Amino acid sequence: MAIYSAERRRLMEMLHPGRHQVFSEVLSSLGAFMEKEILPLSPKLDAGEASIAKPRKALFEQGMTAIPFPVQYGGLGLPFSVYAMAVEMLGNADASVALSVEIHNAVAEGLLRYGSDGQRKKHLAAVISGKTLASFGLTEPASGSDSSTMATTAEKKGGEYVINGSKMFITNAGEASLYMVFAKTAKGPSCFLVEAPNPGLKFGKDLKKLGMRGSKTSEVIFDGCRVPEGSLVGQEGEGGEYAKEILHGARIVVAALNVGISQIAYDKSIAYAKSRKAFGKPISEFQLIREKIADMKTGIDAGRLMYLYAARIKEMGGDYTSEASQAKVYATEMSLKACDEAIQIHGGYGYTTDDLHRHWRDARLLTIGEGTSEVLRMLISRKELSRAQ
Amino acid sequence: MKIAVCVKHAVDESELKLDPTGKPLLAGAAGKMSAFDKNAVEEGLRLKSKHQGEVTVFMVGGPESKKTLKEALAMGADKGALIQADALTVDSFRTAEMLAAAIRKSGPFDVVMCSEGSSDTYSGQVPPMLAEFLGLPYVGYARKIEVSGQTARIERSLEDSIETVEAPVPFAVSVVSEINEPRYPTLIQIMQASKKPVEELNGEELSPRGDYKQVVVASMSSQPSTRKRVILEGSPDEAAAKLVEALVKEGVLK
Amino acid sequence: MKSVWVYSESDSVSNEVAAAAAEVAKGAGLDVQVIELGEARQGVSSPGGKLLIKGSVRNGDSAGAASSAIAKAAAELQPAAVLLGATRTGREIASRLAAKLRVGCMAEITKVATDGTALSGERSVFAGKVVARVSCPLPAVATVKVGAYPRLTAGSASVSEKEVGVVTDQVKVLSREKKTAGAVDLKSAKVIVSAGRGVKKKEDLPMLEELAKEMHGALGCSRPLSSDLGWLPEEHHIGLTGVTVKPDLYLAIGISGQLQHVAGMKDSKVVASINTDKDAPMFQASDYGIIGDLYLVVPALRKALAARG
Repeated sequence: MAIYSAERRRLMEMLHPGRHQVFSEVLSSLGAFMEKEILPLSPKLDAGEASIAKPRKALFEQGMTAIPFPVQYGGLGLPFSVYAMAVEMLGNADASVALSVEIHNAVAEGLLRYGSDGQRKKHLAAVISGKTLASFGLTEPASGSDSSTMATTAEKKGGEYVINGSKMFITNAGEASLYMVFAKTAKGPSCFLVEAPNPGLKFGKDLKKLGMRGSKTSEVIFDGCRVPEGSLVGQEGEGGEYAKEILHGARIVVAALNVGISQIAYDKSIAYAKSRKAFGKPISEFQLIREKIADMKTGIDAGRLMYLYAARIKEMGGDYTSEASQAKVYATEMSLKACDEAIQIHGGYGYTTDDLHRHWRDARLLTIGEGTSEVLRMLISRKELSRAQ
Repeated sequence: MKIAVCVKHAVDESELKLDPTGKPLLAGAAGKMSAFDKNAVEEGLRLKSKHQGEVTVFMVGGPESKKTLKEALAMGADKGALIQADALTVDSFRTAEMLAAAIRKSGPFDVVMCSEGSSDTYSGQVPPMLAEFLGLPYVGYARKIEVSGQTARIERSLEDSIETVEAPVPFAVSVVSEINEPRYPTLIQIMQASKKPVEELNGEELSPRGDYKQVVVASMSSQPSTRKRVILEGSPDEAAAKLVEALVKEGVLK
Repeated sequence: MKSVWVYSESDSVSNEVAAAAAEVAKGAGLDVQVIELGEARQGVSSPGGKLLIKGSVRNGDSAGAASSAIAKAAAELQPAAVLLGATRTGREIASRLAAKLRVGCMAEITKVATDGTALSGERSVFAGKVVARVSCPLPAVATVKVGAYPRLTAGSASVSEKEVGVVTDQVKVLSREKKTAGAVDLKSAKVIVSAGRGVKKKEDLPMLEELAKEMHGALGCSRPLSSDLGWLPEEHHIGLTGVTVKPDLYLAIGISGQLQHVAGMKDSKVVASINTDKDAPMFQASDYGIIGDLYLVVPALRKALAARG
């Protein structure tokens, strides 16, 4: 089945009447590319037998990262929902690559929203085209979504800022040449751009992860890391707000990524259930298996509609913070369940086949990363209670 | 250098569904650029970048086939010509005749490029027929093409031999898939492809059928698979032993 | 009496196509004429007569020259049909001949027959998913699927001649080389071990070569290994655009089983496959399948084979 499936195409048609044709051409070409160049590599990326660098570079060259950005910076100027769909498809092809690309693009989004003209000129086109690989550092060994407890500091000395501290669980760490990081100045959490190499920029060893093994994750250490004054993004003390905004958009994309992971686990389960026989008939004939299939599919469809809804609000200029968080909470939890059921349907093969249980392992990250389900529920409820006033 | 590349919007055989009686559901079946035609477009583009020039893509097909033409344009071809006809009911001879008429109309071309055959029916008849209708020297199954001045030196890949030939420019050629690795159009190229010029021509007006009596498809049905499809389970050692036993029983293992 | 012509590209192809022609001719009151260029060859048999086309053209000349010569003779002698083998050269000559004569041309057919007004046959399309029954009014040209008919072994035949004068081809053949010394002969191998993308690196191929040797077979591969990765020469490539094979045993190792690959081996007597992906389409095209890592299964298989002695 084509990655840009009839189902996905139909949603694009419904979402963008009159304009869907060119969106579909873009997505279907991208899907064909992923099918041939990313999907077959996926088990090897998981097993550490292939490097992410090559397929990611090829995706950049295709222009995947350019999808939602303005034409003047080398973007394609397409709606955010088209980009989110592309990430869903990439999650279908390989979750690690999708994660790496998603983080990279969050930096581009941050640069576009908060960067100065000079910073945009210097970095944005390079990030959008993928010539520069970017990484995003907010979380710390002892501080997560709550940016006020951040321990990394940036001290202004002469014409420079000196950054000290460290960032934890950083995707693309060590590979990226541009880091968007958050550190406290006298005025509070602030956002900086750090270019690698820099003598004060160091990396911890690669973290051994449960899933998402194709992507690189490690600690990023700032040891008297000096950056020019012009590396400050926006205003001092505003970094916490910027990070929140950037993450709102990223949550839509993370939801999409998880829908993609669920879809491939589901497709494999359907094929298996139809071919595996027990008691003289395919196991797909059994009601208990059918219940799983029905629930998996319902969850996937709901997750997909939720992230597309949030994306559509975003591209129409509305407040999508609650919807983005809802989509992420729902889609990530749904995908864990779906990938778990996929293992159950596959029985012993599910538990012993890397190519199947890796979907569960990959999905497992994202009820944690980029806002835990717990924090997001807090955010959703706060938002909805305030809306109700 | 003016290069004509002929492509086909072929039935996507991997998506082709059969009705309960085994008849393929061709009406509305998903289509795509015939796999090997991408190699022809790629080779055309490589010649273009080496010798400066222009690549025009020609195709016989219905409205649904425009996306294939667009794909070739997205890959980097400069313009296209869609010769309208029902690609499923015209045979190779008629297809070649229509292509020849369109190529003659917008020619002359230095190189007329095709792939060795289409991925759906793989007859491999259009390229040599096209060369005949255009009166061009023809080289089939090329795996390497080098043009210098008014001569082309071409390596042909035959079943058991490699033939090196020399042909005068202009010439017609079909390429095998090993000749190159086709590029993927980038997303920006896809978006810009719609702006490239495409001429639409009517096949029957362009090239009337005359008294030619064509090949017809009387009927189609599924090719039944009679494979046993037994999965041998167990540890590698157990499964391997079972396989050897089964193959001995089949009498295919000495 | 009208004739069915058989173009004799080589002894083996000619003798097969002649067998097809004999069947076509049988019920329709036609005779069979095997066409040779320049001189008659001993290994080329005919169930009827032979027609020697004389002039500048020789057996083995380019398809351009051969098709011109045959077209000249056909324009005058008006055969009911011309049959060729569906080889690369046969396809080209058939197409050019049909274009010159303005008659229809069918490709790669089996079950060739005629009712006296049209030539008909069956062919496999959509990468082997579908059989199409095709027909074309006489006179017609067709290529016959190679390997579909048993070779004719009949002896000598009466030879008539036709002078066509000088034919030329603007394409000059500079050299012709056998693909590789000691090239694999997959077509005649009884056992084929075939390698696909599941093989992780080129250095692992000797393991499969050994396996093939132990099974008294030859090593083939799917398209990516020869065309994309270049690990094996192109003549190992089994598939729609590569070699078509029908061994007694086809053992697919790490081959996903794209339709294009299956099209090249679907007539094998017994098919077995090894793949880690239980959803690999190859299993659908196999009699026996082992879901597992080839790096574990192949050594186990070699052990099991050795145990038989």
